[in-house]
Amino acid sequence: MELQKFTYDNKLSKMFLYATVLWGIVAMLVGLTAAFELIFPKMSGGISWLVFSRLRPLHTNAAIFAFVGNSIFLAVYYSTPRLLKTPMYSKALGCIHFWGWQFIIVLAAVTLPLGFTQSKEYAELIWPIDVLVVIIWVVFGLNLIMTMVKRRVKHIYVAIWFYIATWVTVAVLYIVNNLQIPTSFLHSYPVYAGIQDALVQWWYGHNAVAFFLTTPILGMMYYFVPKAANRPVYSYKLSIIHFWALIFLYIWAGPHHLLYSALPDWAQALGVVFSIMLIAPSWGGMINGLLTLRGAWDKVREDPVLKMFVVAITAYGMSTFEGPMLSLKTVNALSHFTDWTIAHVHIGTLGWNGMMAFGMIYWLVPRLYKTKLWSVKLANTHFWIATLGMLFFSIPLYFAGFTQALMWKEFTEEGFLAYPNFLETVTQILPMYYLRAFGGTLYFTGAILFVVNVWNTASSGKFVRYEEDEAAAKHAPKAGEGWHRKLEGKPLQFTVAALIVILIGGLIEIIPMYLVKTNVPTITSVQPYTPLELEGRDIYVREGCYLCHSQMIRPFRNEVERYGEYTKAGETVYDHPFQFGSKRTGPDLAREGVKSLPNYKPDSWHYNHMLDPQKMNAESIMPPYPWLIENDLDYTNIESKISVMQSFGVPYDSYLNGQDPVEAMQAQAAQIAQGLRSGGIDVDDNKEIIALIAYLQRLGTDLYSE
Amino acid sequence: MAKENVNQPHNEDYEYDTLTNDRLIKDHDYDGIRELDNDLPPWWKWLFYITIVFAIIYLIRLFVFHADDLVQDKEYENVMAEAAAEQPQQDAAAFEIVLLEDDASLASGEETWGKICSACHLADGGGLVGPNMTDNYWIHGNTVEDLYEIVEKGVIEKGMIPYKDQLSPQKRLEVVSYILVKLQGTTPANPKEPEGEEY
Repeated sequence: MELQKFTYDNKLSKMFLYATVLWGIVAMLVGLTAAFELIFPKMSGGISWLVFSRLRPLHTNAAIFAFVGNSIFLAVYYSTPRLLKTPMYSKALGCIHFWGWQFIIVLAAVTLPLGFTQSKEYAELIWPIDVLVVIIWVVFGLNLIMTMVKRRVKHIYVAIWFYIATWVTVAVLYIVNNLQIPTSFLHSYPVYAGIQDALVQWWYGHNAVAFFLTTPILGMMYYFVPKAANRPVYSYKLSIIHFWALIFLYIWAGPHHLLYSALPDWAQALGVVFSIMLIAPSWGGMINGLLTLRGAWDKVREDPVLKMFVVAITAYGMSTFEGPMLSLKTVNALSHFTDWTIAHVHIGTLGWNGMMAFGMIYWLVPRLYKTKLWSVKLANTHFWIATLGMLFFSIPLYFAGFTQALMWKEFTEEGFLAYPNFLETVTQILPMYYLRAFGGTLYFTGAILFVVNVWNTASSGKFVRYEEDEAAAKHAPKAGEGWHRKLEGKPLQFTVAALIVILIGGLIEIIPMYLVKTNVPTITSVQPYTPLELEGRDIYVREGCYLCHSQMIRPFRNEVERYGEYTKAGETVYDHPFQFGSKRTGPDLAREGVKSLPNYKPDSWHYNHMLDPQKMNAESIMPPYPWLIENDLDYTNIESKISVMQSFGVPYDSYLNGQDPVEAMQAQAAQIAQGLRSGGIDVDDNKEIIALIAYLQRLGTDLYSE
Repeated sequence: MAKENVNQPHNEDYEYDTLTNDRLIKDHDYDGIRELDNDLPPWWKWLFYITIVFAIIYLIRLFVFHADDLVQDKEYENVMAEAAAEQPQQDAAAFEIVLLEDDASLASGEETWGKICSACHLADGGGLVGPNMTDNYWIHGNTVEDLYEIVEKGVIEKGMIPYKDQLSPQKRLEVVSYILVKLQGTTPANPKEPEGEEY
């Protein structure tokens, strides 16, 4: 067999490596800032783009798409050519991919703090950026697939299976969840509303975890763990079974984010059972990773790279067990909307994603620079600080979540809520927020050591741009191969098979939500928002209120007692996008406007509260939003907003009944402002705060107006 | 290092991993990464089967038997019915509305004030959204009964919500007593302008 010579170009690997390091630091720094803002609510100093609710999406997007995203591309661009024994198909596509992705990140880092958001978690980016993401994702896919076409190795390795599944599934998820109609260059409404929007969003959101934070990292694991340990993979059979089971089952699990919500029972049940069935396939990955280290445990004690991989894989095992447990209704009844979820996801990101990325880079840098790691000792220190940081981050938050959930649910013997004042339950867990910030600081400190080590290692060596390799040409399939082995020899068919497998769950869950009327029973008293309320709602979205305030009252005695009648699917039909939220750092606002309920506050209260929350509640941890009081309301766009809503079937024709939306807006604003002025508040009609108050006072009232 | 593996006798058609003696799969070599021919761990298989059985039973309980704990509306109704049955019967007639002046009641009233009332009337009673409670001006009267009724039923048009579902009669009376005994006549930091009539 004649060996063919070819050359790997390490330039893109190097670029993605530095991008991973840079954005990792940025993502952690923003997260740390957000953690401190929760303890010191005045820290944002009245600056709109520094406020918690604008930084939180920046933190999550930076962690997921910038830090982990670049680490994925690093793994793909380094391992794929070596596994397929051919250079990447196109340097030009690779460059477009790299710079396109970094450009998207920069756009995100600018638009999110400025309040340009769709408010769908991890899909906040506005439509022009979404279009860019899709283009760049296609460029990436094209490069990956064409490299497979040009390969010299007949069969594709399990790491590549995971890269393929990642690529097809993320493409499907991203496009479907981001279907929207623009109202202007920077704003749009999603085509879905309310509970349907929520289902699509959490189908996406959960599978962003599955197919962006899990499957590509498993691919990374399957290449870098055996390489770093110099050990064979534990079980090929397990690879096959857990790969297909994982991608088939994962896609169904989204509804577990909507347990005890207005989502119909059947969809919730599918979310529960598919989450439970995910335990074994997830652990299949963990076993295959950890057992690959059999015979190399002595090395694990010495080598910071392997140590990080072991903690990463263990964290993966922990969070993939915890996830299904949180999907059980009894557990979810406690955990949902609390810091428990925050703790859970950080085991995943700090443990699994972070440690895999650190380990991979510690292994790669000396190889890319033909030198030794600058300081093994420093890397070991990083390992310990990061591990401690992760524990200091999550354990207090588990405690906080559990404590707060129990306080919310507690009744006195007389049958009253034991803690009717939401703030009491926040003050109780505030010490845990201090500890979390301390844990985050530790983890960040570790990351700084990492940067120092990477930098010095690179400086001590010389970058090896081109690496020679040789391999025989691709051979013909051999007789007697099993069906899966045959499929491994046909990457295009493999890709189509993965696509079919991941489409099933989504289609079965989403289509009936649209076609079967009983899933969203109509409530006749539910009306569209007035133009002013719609503008107010857009401000609510812009400020990211949903990040701390839910709008989904669950059918529990304590929630109904605290917030009013539980939320019905039919109430959400005009909500483009839905605003259920996923965390209650502050109280639920679904019925904020209902005057007969305990949470009702007069207009003047809202005005003063936005200006200075601590003036109303000294211990409140809400930041001030003074710009809402200064900014003039921009209603140049209202006609286009209403016409987009009409295209979704929102009955503005009959609702406005020929009235000009701008006039309707001005009339309602004048009335609210007049009320405020009569209470001694000096305010103009055309301020943003007026629209926001209009929206808040409308919340949840339709059901009570019958 | 290689030790004899009793379960997998060596066979010339195969290669074996030198450290574990597990069988390697021939021709599986990806950039130097080899794969072992190990079976799925039995406990793992059982774990998978058990979760599948769980899923089937779960779905049957919902779709066939409409189990109380899986049908959300039923579960809610049951919990609410249970709570209603447990509720102690409030004997409204027996409850007497008279000013409380003992330390325990006033301390309890102060606690309620700090937790709930202070949001609108401020901790020192100086008033903010709600009126000043330290001066001698009253919008809705100044007797224990007047104040008790406001706390119970609220003044919705002004933003004062009813507290009958949040505070027991005893708690309502305690906080009203706290206002009249302790807050009245004090000097808050930033008192709100008097509202209502002077008494």
